[in-house]
Amino acid sequence: MPKMDSAQKAAKINSLQEELTALIASVRAETDIKKKRKLISKIGDYNRKIDTMKSGRLLSRETKRDLVAYSFIAPNFIGFCVFTLIPIIFAFALAFMKWDGSNPIQWQGIGNFTRLTDDIFFRAALKNTVIYCLGTVPLTMIASLALAIVLNQKVIGRGIFRTLSFFPYVASLVAITAVWKMLFHPSKGPINSILYNVFHMPQENLPQWFTGGLALLSMILFSVWKYMGYYMVIYLAGLQGISGELYEAAGLDGANTWQKFRYVTWPQLSSTTFFVVVMLTINCFKVYDIAIMLAGGGSGELTTSATVLVYYIYQKAFIDWDLGYSSAVAMVLFVMVLVVTVIQFWGQARKERA
Amino acid sequence: MKKKLLSTMLVAAMMTTLLAGCGNEPVNGGQESSSAPEQSSAQQSESTNAPEQSSEPASEGNESAGGEDVTLKWAIWDQETTAYWNDLKEAYESSHQGVTIEMVDLGSSDYMTVLATELSGDGSDFDVVTIKDVPGYATLVQKNSILALDDYISADGVDLSKYAGATDQVVVDGKLYELPFRNDFWVLFYNKDLFDAKQVAYPTNDMTFAEYDALARQMTDTTFGSQVYGAHYHTWRSAVQLFGVLDGQHTILDGEYSFFEPYYEMILNQEADGVCRKYADLKTEGLHYSAAFSGGDVAMLNMGSWFIATMITNLQTGEYDSSLCGNWGIVKYPHAEGVEAGSTLGTITGLAVTSATDTPDAAWEFVKWVSGEEGAAVMASSGNFPAIMTEEAMSLITGLEGFPADEASKEALNVSNLYLEVPYAPNVSEINSVLDSYHGSIMAGEMSIQDGIEAMNTEVSKILAQ
Repeated sequence: MPKMDSAQKAAKINSLQEELTALIASVRAETDIKKKRKLISKIGDYNRKIDTMKSGRLLSRETKRDLVAYSFIAPNFIGFCVFTLIPIIFAFALAFMKWDGSNPIQWQGIGNFTRLTDDIFFRAALKNTVIYCLGTVPLTMIASLALAIVLNQKVIGRGIFRTLSFFPYVASLVAITAVWKMLFHPSKGPINSILYNVFHMPQENLPQWFTGGLALLSMILFSVWKYMGYYMVIYLAGLQGISGELYEAAGLDGANTWQKFRYVTWPQLSSTTFFVVVMLTINCFKVYDIAIMLAGGGSGELTTSATVLVYYIYQKAFIDWDLGYSSAVAMVLFVMVLVVTVIQFWGQARKERA
Repeated sequence: MKKKLLSTMLVAAMMTTLLAGCGNEPVNGGQESSSAPEQSSAQQSESTNAPEQSSEPASEGNESAGGEDVTLKWAIWDQETTAYWNDLKEAYESSHQGVTIEMVDLGSSDYMTVLATELSGDGSDFDVVTIKDVPGYATLVQKNSILALDDYISADGVDLSKYAGATDQVVVDGKLYELPFRNDFWVLFYNKDLFDAKQVAYPTNDMTFAEYDALARQMTDTTFGSQVYGAHYHTWRSAVQLFGVLDGQHTILDGEYSFFEPYYEMILNQEADGVCRKYADLKTEGLHYSAAFSGGDVAMLNMGSWFIATMITNLQTGEYDSSLCGNWGIVKYPHAEGVEAGSTLGTITGLAVTSATDTPDAAWEFVKWVSGEEGAAVMASSGNFPAIMTEEAMSLITGLEGFPADEASKEALNVSNLYLEVPYAPNVSEINSVLDSYHGSIMAGEMSIQDGIEAMNTEVSKILAQ
């Protein structure tokens, strides 16, 4: 800031002060609310300018305060920008390009998206991901809600049962998939040996749990078991937030258990359910680790019966180095998650207004 | 001083490029990448004229490094468990003064993926990289991450015929980007104790598939508790499907795969009859072939020659129980009717010079040395198969303590025709993914053999048409 002598400074301040007074007068005269607001914010600007002049500091108090606030956000935000935001924007652009990571990028237009339409592996991945979501989301929700309601009662050993059902969520995915693979082993696993010995299922008809159509079923069962504990905790919190008076009032009106659930618990839990469904849907679309660990075998390669979108994105990007095409697949995943989430938000907003 | 020299040569190289015209260069980005080999050729031709040029590799190495100390960064995998990396490094450093080899271990399971990521963009500082498989090689060539070696090869007079045709199968548009230093081929391992117990004659070096199938069935015992599997096939595609390419008339790049059918049929029938372990079981439990064979209930296993070194060391250290699998032998791969015995699959491991290196000449010297006779001797001394199979290297391997003593096992190492598991093609990485995927579907019973092959045909033709 150039140095000014005090006389100049005083003159400047005076002129600003005069403008300010004029402005205040015009605000008083103004009737249109929108314009008035604009003018009021201008008054703030003038005040700040005058303050800076008077104090002679480089930065006004407000700017300083803002800077401090920004500096607190910065470490997180810079990391977010560099590692998340910029790559996401880049991925949007890449979806219309052809790039292998080294050679110059080429414009592709919508070529990547037209290629998607007759790509058998993409279609299989899309189908499997959707089936997996349709299976996992409602089942997990029902299972976790049921668990939460049961474990919200005063039953003996409630703490132990809560811990037990939360345990799969805490345990390492790799370790528990190994256990599942042993349990469901097609020829040596206890599940199939029960089917064989107790139910006398012929040996050649024993289910092959990790291949064919059953691979998806195994994945769904596994995820329900693994994640229901986590959502149970969220539902428990929701249940404990419901006031006991509501149940008391319902009881006085002669409501039975089902009616209490239908007309008290369920509506009261609607925001919890909304959160659970959104989180579940997003997590389900992102499924990758479970598919690889359960159906990938040693090599981590998925056949068309178990492949999922995220796996296909990885395969196209880092094995075939077709980054543009893989970004196009990622866009499809993004749009799917976006649409589902927007519909849910919209539904929730409408419910709240009603 | 060195900089000045370099810039002069760069100018010279650029002039040559300009004069030579950019006729056969790709439309974009080719300029930069193709000028690098040109530059080196200029340098090389200079050094060929130099009087010091001699047959001694040691002095050559020093010369190209400009008499200064050079450090070469070399990408490898499994440094801890694979002895030859260190052997090669030490042997090279002791014969080449002033050269330091710095090894970087990128891990074995996704080595080529990690390497391709490392070499993307400009940030790479690798000088020499090991090429583990052909799909990864194709990726690196297309990404212009590695240099064509032809100018070096012709300048130094490297005789490619010593590699017995292996290099011909990885030529890209008339150019070679890697030199193999290790060449593994598939043989049939068998457990002599099991054959003795059943009083069945050992497999021979000249078996047709029908004979092999009959032998496997003869060795099979499905009695619960004392099960013996006549054969074992690892979950890799190569272990089953590639029996089909041994007649030399088909490759996996054909786009028409009905020739796989008899082999899928043979192995799926064996599976149904309990001759071999089920693919779905193996996938689920992730059973490694070494665990299967060393468990002592597998009579025959088709596997690459790398398993020989593993068997020898692990039996010596006691990791494998020698009462279960200590008495083993190898024979040549079975062959189709009317095909010469000794035709087998091969996998080459090669070295390449990165396009990002500052010292391509020193890097080339290293590549040439490791892939040459000196490197071959180092490889053979630890029981590994060098790409140049000399009499000396052969006798080093067969003379190792723990190598099967019978004549048939020694004879089994003589390969008549070697077909690479994956020969080079521009889209080989994608073709590989497609074939792997449908191989899994067929073997797991998700698809019938015909449907699976049909799907392979459609999908691969789509890739080939691109």
